[in-house]
Amino acid sequence: MVGIVLVSHSPDLARGLADLARQMAGPDVRVEPAGGAPGGGLGTDEDLVQRAIANADQGDGVIVLGDLGSAILTVRHVLERRRNGHVRLVDAPLVEGAVAAAVTASAARPVEEVAKAAEEARGAGKL
Amino acid sequence: MPASSETLVRLPQDVDLHARPAADFVRCALAFEASIVVAAGGREADAKSLLAVLALGAKGGSDLNLRAEGEDAAAALEALAGCVTGLA
Repeated sequence: MVGIVLVSHSPDLARGLADLARQMAGPDVRVEPAGGAPGGGLGTDEDLVQRAIANADQGDGVIVLGDLGSAILTVRHVLERRRNGHVRLVDAPLVEGAVAAAVTASAARPVEEVAKAAEEARGAGKL
Repeated sequence: MPASSETLVRLPQDVDLHARPAADFVRCALAFEASIVVAAGGREADAKSLLAVLALGAKGGSDLNLRAEGEDAAAALEALAGCVTGLA
């Protein structure tokens, strides 16, 4: 199954969102939080992101979502160091994208479809 | 011409189509190739889109109209109807 990595400046935000996505997706999808700077404060951490990607990877691909622009920069640095192409950074709203992607992944859909579910969250109204 | 199918199913009285029940519903729909539309309260959603299904805001006890198109349309609706009545 496709794994999901949530990169946030806040450890609490990343963990809480991972809990929510897991509850919706069930136990088979790996949703890994990567929140906070080295030491646990607000910020981002390339090593933490790298480890989260490794933990999320079951061989079917991984998508990575970030909260704000500088989280995206961190993810880009990590992905530049990696060889394999099955890890994708997705441009999507964090909460809606994570939950939509996790549920799509839980139906054993391929990485392209999981990424699309996250990206389509941008146009999905709530009202 | 692809097969099309339509059915009406009622949500259990105490189950709104929110959060986990919606995720269960969408997961079931994603297992089929057919395109599936769910309608409730005059609104429609792609049954394979969690966020669209959540936005329907379907309340427990309300009727869902399911329409599917594709070779496995009939099987998809049978499975989805079973999923809806089994939601808890």
